[in-house]
Amino acid sequence: MTNLVKFSITLSLVFLIDSVHADREAFESTYAPLAPEKIIIQNASVYDGDGGELLETDILVDNGKIIAIGKDLPFSNEFRVIDATGKWVTPGIIDIHSHMGVYPAPGVRTSSDGNEATSPVTADVWAEHSIWVQDPQYALALAGGVTAFHILPGSANLIGGRGVTVKNLQRVTINSMKFPDAPHSLKMACGENPKRVYGNRGQAPSTRMGNAAGYRKSWIQAEGYLRKLNEYEEKSDEAKELEYAPTRDLEMETLVGVLKGEILVHNHCYRADEMATMIDIAKEFNYKITAFHHGVEAYKIADLLADNGICGALWADWWGFKHEAYDMVQANIAIVDQARNGTGCAIVHSDDAIGIQHLNQEASKALSAGRRAGFEISEARAMKWITSNPAKAAGIYDQTGSLKVGKNADVVVWSKNPFSVYALAEKVLIDGAIAYDREKNLLPASDFDIGIMSPNKNRIEE
Amino acid sequence: MINMNLKFVYLILFGLLLIFVASNTSAKTIVIKNATIYDGVSDSSYKGNIQIENDKIKRISSSNLQGDFIIDAQEKIVTPGLIATDTEIGIVEIGALSVTRDDSADMYKIGFSIYDAFNPNSTLIPWNRSNGVTTALTTPQNTSSPIGGMGSLFVLDGKLNVTGVRDAAMIGQVGGSSSGSRSEQYAIIEDLLIMASSLSKSDLSSDSKIYELIGESAISSAMELHPRDIKALFKVLNDNVPLIMKSHRASDLLKLIEIKERFNLNMIIMGAQEAHLVKSELAEAGIPLIINPINNIPDSFDELASNIQMASRLEEAGVPVMFNVSRSHNYHLIRQGAGVAVANGMSYGGAIKSLTSVPAKTFGMSDRGTLEAGKIADLVIWDEDPLEPSAMPEYVFINGENMDLTSRATRLTDRYTKDLDEPVTYRD
Repeated sequence: MTNLVKFSITLSLVFLIDSVHADREAFESTYAPLAPEKIIIQNASVYDGDGGELLETDILVDNGKIIAIGKDLPFSNEFRVIDATGKWVTPGIIDIHSHMGVYPAPGVRTSSDGNEATSPVTADVWAEHSIWVQDPQYALALAGGVTAFHILPGSANLIGGRGVTVKNLQRVTINSMKFPDAPHSLKMACGENPKRVYGNRGQAPSTRMGNAAGYRKSWIQAEGYLRKLNEYEEKSDEAKELEYAPTRDLEMETLVGVLKGEILVHNHCYRADEMATMIDIAKEFNYKITAFHHGVEAYKIADLLADNGICGALWADWWGFKHEAYDMVQANIAIVDQARNGTGCAIVHSDDAIGIQHLNQEASKALSAGRRAGFEISEARAMKWITSNPAKAAGIYDQTGSLKVGKNADVVVWSKNPFSVYALAEKVLIDGAIAYDREKNLLPASDFDIGIMSPNKNRIEE
Repeated sequence: MINMNLKFVYLILFGLLLIFVASNTSAKTIVIKNATIYDGVSDSSYKGNIQIENDKIKRISSSNLQGDFIIDAQEKIVTPGLIATDTEIGIVEIGALSVTRDDSADMYKIGFSIYDAFNPNSTLIPWNRSNGVTTALTTPQNTSSPIGGMGSLFVLDGKLNVTGVRDAAMIGQVGGSSSGSRSEQYAIIEDLLIMASSLSKSDLSSDSKIYELIGESAISSAMELHPRDIKALFKVLNDNVPLIMKSHRASDLLKLIEIKERFNLNMIIMGAQEAHLVKSELAEAGIPLIINPINNIPDSFDELASNIQMASRLEEAGVPVMFNVSRSHNYHLIRQGAGVAVANGMSYGGAIKSLTSVPAKTFGMSDRGTLEAGKIADLVIWDEDPLEPSAMPEYVFINGENMDLTSRATRLTDRYTKDLDEPVTYRD
């Protein structure tokens, strides 16, 4: 380990301890970055994540932020130079659908904490309270260029609970990984999973119509709870003195958060007809669906998704593992992207600890399939599918997801064009600090990785 | 769009021509000219022309070859058709729908064969074929016995008259499990193989004779074995039928080497996420591996040393490797895995061989898996580097026949991108 790295880790520990003492709400992020460096990335080919492609471009990073982007930028000798001649630079990759931490590796029962499959509605549970921070999978994703990801509960339940967005910097507590100011999300699930899980137990839901009734009943309850909250809030101070506030209800707090627009709905839903039904349920109760996840049939209703401003968070090619995933087309992502004159929102997601390491390759498959289907789509646009679009769907686009002056310096330097299978992430910056460096063998190791194969080595050390 | 349509027209014309040529029995030669050929034999590529006559490669040459139909493969890579070694193609249509699954047995633990369940009309066949896979080894789920269950090879031409090799391999599995010790698994394997070793060919002449012999065997009665099970074991011991053992932990791989040598088995190890730790032992024992080069997840306590350099480390040590995928249905993604292997240090030529000639050789298909004169013409002309996930075949030949590259997925794509003014159910 270099002295520099040791120093930055020490520094970040100091920050961490500091933040523990700070005044903070329960479960608020205590994230502190690694010690930021002054860096200039020179002469790169750039996909900026917003659909732009820049050649022979420099990116200046200071104090965790991107401070300038342009050709032949002036810089002082305090800046560390990364020569990116012949290389490509993109924003940090963001995965909108991950179960790392809640389904960590090794996949054993004792840490399989992703589905609270004891009741079809568990809006009260929070994925972040399941996450195992020592999951060895985060670092593997980091080596694939992933700087942030959104961890969701599983899909056993109609309403599965809150998801959380984290920085891909492994820490000792989950609060210190949480992406500052990222909104919570709510996981909902359509189709086969909830009806199978509960139908097999002889309880509701056992059909898709049972699913729909289940969501609607929950939203009716939430409307009632919100009314009670509002009625109390509207009372005079004197009246409030005489009466307790409505008793807190964790389930209702989450659902009310959605109705107020503070919590983003991420809805696992494969079939086109079910997505359309979910859109109507959202209309009925006046909430917004941020993204449909998996959406193997999204291409059948791509215009409807675009009209409603709903993203499709999709795989490039998974299919056939269940009936509702039978109608796969590889152009799915491109069709969603191109809907209504290119106003659609397409996201390539992984849902998989291997896939998250290669989201660039998944985007490449989706792009080429789209071109084969006759769409003219640039690589720069396809880069949005794994950067700015997931950032928007996670509610963190104001901070990251594209290379823009003032944004967090979450940056990947690739050995080649990232749409090639041969491209490797060489350096990954998170908030302006080098979190991964292939050349220098700088890769974080979780506690799980230490001394487990051999006392003197890390897990994958030769 | 114009280009796409033109290409479609060419494809139709070519198809019509082939039908015409096929009906003319006297001559049917196809020449693929100017190809960049990775033949599955050599590590590097060469430029050449490939002449196909009937179902065979007649000649490969740098000089001009005559053909009734010419395909110009300028700037295109041509490889043997890909051979997927760990699939459920033809026996599982929809994973979570048990009525579409034919991959498990109730009664037979060792001799269970999936061959007769194979469905040539499965949608997985056109899909994987249009992505370059021409042959698949289809295997059942592991049974309750640590060795048992027979996989078969299938040529993916989709014809009802199935071309395949029945019971081309037995499968097995040892390692950590939620019930029992791996030590007992080894004891069972040992007992089964000792029991079957004591039989001679004449002992298998009738089922009643087998019942008579195995009735005296404790392991046979404990496992309620049937003559079918005994015959399968006999084939593995005496007919060089490969035994594919799924296992990961370094200590297990060494134990498997010991079993291979003791019983003189044709053993293949699959999974093998810690194989690099015993790579020289594996190389020395001549055991080929089926690995998933993209899987670096320590998914169990048997796989702690999982890593992304596995393929290159094994290649360096001289261990023959083949590839599998971790998910169902898209078996062609062995290409992406191979690309990742190359990105992480494997040689390109070696990766192509892992997809073609290594599995052909390992599973005894001497007539497929390479591009050489006299071999069956299973080959793919790629639109770009086949190890790029974005690549697709432009032509796939199986048994010398130009295959249609339409799949249910391409039909659905067309339906939702073309003729959008028509009501959807009246579109193509």
